[in-house]
Amino acid sequence: MKPRVAFFDFASCEGCQLNVINLEEKILDLISIVDVVTFREAMTERTDEYDIAFIEGSINRPMDEEKLKKIRANAKVLVALGACAHTGGVNKLRNQWPVENVKKEVYGDADIEGNPLFDAFQTKAVDECVKVDFYIPGCPIDRNEFARMVTQIAMGRTPKLPTYPVCVECKKNENICVFEYGEFCLGPITRAGCDAICPTNGEGCDGCRGYLDDPKMNAAKDVMLKYGITLDMMMKKLNMYNYKKEGY
Amino acid sequence: MKALSKQKWLEFIDRMIKEDAGEVIGVKAKGSRFHFSPLDAAADLRLDYDITLLPPKKELLPTCESLLEFDISQPFDVQVKKEDQKKILVGVHPYDMVAINMMDRIYLDTHVDEHYEIRRNNTTIIVSDILNIPDRAFCGSLGTHVVDTGYDLLVTDLGDTVVIAVGTDKGTELLDKYASPRDATDSEKGDVENLRETTGSSYTRKMADDYNWSEVLKENYEHPIWDENARKCLSCGSCTLVCPTCVCYDVEDEMELNLVKGKRTRTWDGCLLKDFTLVGSGETFRESPMERYRHRYYRKGLYLPQRFGFVACVGCGRCATQCLPDIADPLEVMNALAASSMEEKKELPIPEVEVQGIKEELLLPVSATIMQKHKMNDLETLYTLKLDSGKKLEYEPGQFVEVSIFGIGEAPISISSSPGAETFELLIRRLGDLTTAIERLMPGDKVGIRGPFGNGFDTDELEGNNMLYIGGGCGLAPLRSIINYSLDNRKDFKDVTILYGCKDPDSQLFHSDLDRWEKMEGVDLFTAVDSCPDGQCWDGNTGVITTLIPKAKFDPKDTKVIIVGPPIMYKFVIRDIKALGVPDENIIVSLERRMKCGVGKCGHCQINGVYVCLEGPVFNYKDIKELPEAL
Ligand code: SF4
Ligand code: SF4
Ligand code: SF4
Ligand code: SF4
Ligand code: SF4
Ligand code: FES
Repeated sequence: MKPRVAFFDFASCEGCQLNVINLEEKILDLISIVDVVTFREAMTERTDEYDIAFIEGSINRPMDEEKLKKIRANAKVLVALGACAHTGGVNKLRNQWPVENVKKEVYGDADIEGNPLFDAFQTKAVDECVKVDFYIPGCPIDRNEFARMVTQIAMGRTPKLPTYPVCVECKKNENICVFEYGEFCLGPITRAGCDAICPTNGEGCDGCRGYLDDPKMNAAKDVMLKYGITLDMMMKKLNMYNYKKEGY
Repeated sequence: MKALSKQKWLEFIDRMIKEDAGEVIGVKAKGSRFHFSPLDAAADLRLDYDITLLPPKKELLPTCESLLEFDISQPFDVQVKKEDQKKILVGVHPYDMVAINMMDRIYLDTHVDEHYEIRRNNTTIIVSDILNIPDRAFCGSLGTHVVDTGYDLLVTDLGDTVVIAVGTDKGTELLDKYASPRDATDSEKGDVENLRETTGSSYTRKMADDYNWSEVLKENYEHPIWDENARKCLSCGSCTLVCPTCVCYDVEDEMELNLVKGKRTRTWDGCLLKDFTLVGSGETFRESPMERYRHRYYRKGLYLPQRFGFVACVGCGRCATQCLPDIADPLEVMNALAASSMEEKKELPIPEVEVQGIKEELLLPVSATIMQKHKMNDLETLYTLKLDSGKKLEYEPGQFVEVSIFGIGEAPISISSSPGAETFELLIRRLGDLTTAIERLMPGDKVGIRGPFGNGFDTDELEGNNMLYIGGGCGLAPLRSIINYSLDNRKDFKDVTILYGCKDPDSQLFHSDLDRWEKMEGVDLFTAVDSCPDGQCWDGNTGVITTLIPKAKFDPKDTKVIIVGPPIMYKFVIRDIKALGVPDENIIVSLERRMKCGVGKCGHCQINGVYVCLEGPVFNYKDIKELPEAL
């Protein structure tokens, strides 16, 4: 039987699901190997019977966490899709301030007291709430990597992410390192897999795919200091997708 | 020597482009730097470049190439994919040509890599003399600013005229077909000589002294510089990826989303990356950044020189430019080492290598059918296989094969049967995706086989001796091949003693062999388990393998001892049998490393400069005991 696949979204821009739909001609192949049973971006039918759950978005409210726990209980395999689900993504930036202040800033004096829709806590990544089997990192995800991961899961392989940094793909693309022209880049500590798309387009990597398992933080900081990057600029970039992650 | 006016030279290039001489790839600007890229017009060619970001090796060994294509809906449908596009490389600098000559030795001398060979034969190389020196290069000290072989044409841009030396018939043909050169004048020839001489002496970065890289490295394996520099290392691999003499690769199977068709691809890999030496059991053999950082220098400055006779650095300086912490510059490191040589000299002996010049399809697996499947315990299963070609697999005890399931991957597995039968046996332990997938197969199913590879047990040398076999865990699998060989040829061997230890009673392997050995005349078998957990039963010896050594009755001076087991075991067993007086040359071991290619190309299996896939996996202890990375 084909594995049944469900997509769920929490706090996200749904850009990652959109990237799945954008598989274009490959989407037909995808549905020939899996049954997509729940997918808000593309269909209305829903069911609670699924084998593989793809979770997009970060977790911000008790009601979301409850729903996520139910999904975990239903799913054989749970995959965190995209940076928001993987690291908390940009959503985590608001964890710099107390939740109350954030609410005040966003909702002003509106009456939200006791309404579960607005009962936010500090942003969590999916694996801060439930066990995650596999991650498909990136903001947004790379659709080729998505396709690769799905085929590997479908064939009974353990999908593996690269254990080397973005620099490897950057070199293979024969880019001029952005440090050479005054930009700075988290490529050396960030997990590859996006084909170094940002440096290839002349932008430093923001680390949207998360750090490597053993990022060489000190060596990377020395490099940034050597190129005149201030600690403040560095922290801004480090925080963007990896707020308060281990390592610095 | 020939010559063309600048105008005619440009016409020559343009004609090759327009008249489809092949894909013309030349040096073009890329932002403030340069790269090799298909030329649309001669006007884009920049012979005044200093250096390209990536070396031209990318045209001969692409960053990613498809080796095989397969269709897994069929029992065994696999095809080799070879690129036969004609290419003309224009503007290769001499140092890069020297590097290509080195790559030719590695890929063509022994176990000819056909993918590389075809691409190389289809490529015409036009070398161009250096007009501008990149700031981190030090070719002058190595003599690599000039080159005298390998190229088809060698051009020197003198401004108004381009002087052309012809290297091969292929070069002559190209030149005659697309241009009508005149002979170069003596003064032009003189100008070329002068230009080269000036270039050679213009390098400001030089070797501090006339030292020999290999000699310096031999003395400095423990030098503090390795650790000092490695602390700054990002483990980013850039220094290897951009290097014209780095040729290691990784192999991966990819499926299309339809799960029917797929391909096996190879991509550049580098020894600075963390998982370069990772094996199936999860062990990494060069774990610290320091070991990886140091390995690169030793490979270039000692191991390849010992094997091929050349220092595998051409002084291009790409690594120095592209290493962000700036610790990858061989010149700086070598100069520093030469200036502060350590007291202690430590030779790193590399066993003699025989260059075999084997030319056969190396990367294409042949099909084999599973005849029998015998589960030994929860993790391990013994498979009996037969080649579908009807031919017998010709192997020696101790050799290994690469086993493939298309779409999942390939792994080295040692052969555990004694040669002779029509079939062969493999013991496979469920460890990762591939071995899990193999476990799902049933008799009648097919797998891909490459090999046999490696150096097995030297049966000629072993015959006539007393034998002591010491096996730990699944080390008994390869050991069984030589044990049964000696028992199949019983009259050729004297006393046989077998020691076998494993974790617990349930993980004991090859019960029927153990029973048979137990009963055999002139064979002493001792077994032990590390411990016996509740629920299992055992009334034999309990303790690690070394506790069996005192029980064995053997003459330490006159017995060949063969040891195969998990990496951790060797040190202790060797210590104990040496204490009993067994001479080093009578100790034989078989070692495990990551073996992707099996043929000395991918670089993963190296123990210092020794290739486990070629010189091993069976080694005489005396040959490797000095190698720091071996045991
Ligand atoms: S990871 Fe990025 S693209 Fe994906 S949902 Fe979050 S914000 Fe959108
Ligand atoms: S641009 Fe970024 S990813 Fe590319 S080499 Fe430089 S640091 Fe690494
Ligand atoms: S280069 Fe960095 S920021 Fe850009 S996609 Fe890749 S990981 Fe994300
Ligand atoms: S080691 Fe560095 S200088 Fe030497 S050939 Fe490689 S990239 Fe060039
Ligand atoms: S030596 Fe430099 S280029 Fe090489 S891995 Fe370390 S940091 Fe990267
Ligand atoms: S070099 Fe590839 S396995 Fe030895």
